[in-house]
Amino acid sequence: MAIQTAAIDVADEYARLVKAAPGAAVATFTGYVRDFSEDTAVHALELEHYPEMAQVVLQALGDSAAERFGLAGWRVVHRYGLLSVAETIVWVGTVAAHRGDAFSACEYMMDTLKTDAPFWKREHGPSGNSWVKRRGSDDVRRARWSAEKGA
Amino acid sequence: MNVTIKLFSTLREALGEADFELDLGALNGQVTTWDVAAIKTALSKRGPVWRDALNQPNLVHALNHKVVFIDAIVADGDELAFFPPMTGG
Repeated sequence: MAIQTAAIDVADEYARLVKAAPGAAVATFTGYVRDFSEDTAVHALELEHYPEMAQVVLQALGDSAAERFGLAGWRVVHRYGLLSVAETIVWVGTVAAHRGDAFSACEYMMDTLKTDAPFWKREHGPSGNSWVKRRGSDDVRRARWSAEKGA
Repeated sequence: MNVTIKLFSTLREALGEADFELDLGALNGQVTTWDVAAIKTALSKRGPVWRDALNQPNLVHALNHKVVFIDAIVADGDELAFFPPMTGG
């Protein structure tokens, strides 16, 4: 797990993950800064975070995914600071014996991270900066994992 | 009894502080057991900006880096953070 300002080297992260935890099925997700939001163009994205709590939450999230889906390995990298459009924001990798567990664990980690990890996005656009509000669809996606298993 | 208060995102901006030490005994010597709600009430007395910021819907409180309900008991040396819903990923 890493929380950093530097761009995420996806190829390097992938190589390190599969070397440390070889397995038959590997799933990854990479999130990038988009150039639009619900009602305006976006020039850049600023991410504030709560460093000590983010460490605790991301580590616990990976541990819970490993236990729940029987992972051989996992890694999550999350950035903070000022990011340009098309830059990486987050990367999650999961290694399991079968694709179902690798896919599910990766999705579970992303869905949970979005609502539970202490990061806050602020979009920079043509008419100024505005904090991103939590989307209801994120809560719905997060709730699915609690409904499937009392987490 | 001292606690560290931390504020993030819209709370930090609205209140103009990122973190500070709070002496609960100095605030109210009569109270012996403090929960998150009591600290919110005490801080809300700092003025309308504090009251509005700390009583917004969906306010999240984390005690020692874990999200807690408003009746969580706060002890000497604890770190209590207030912030809006998280939007990472």
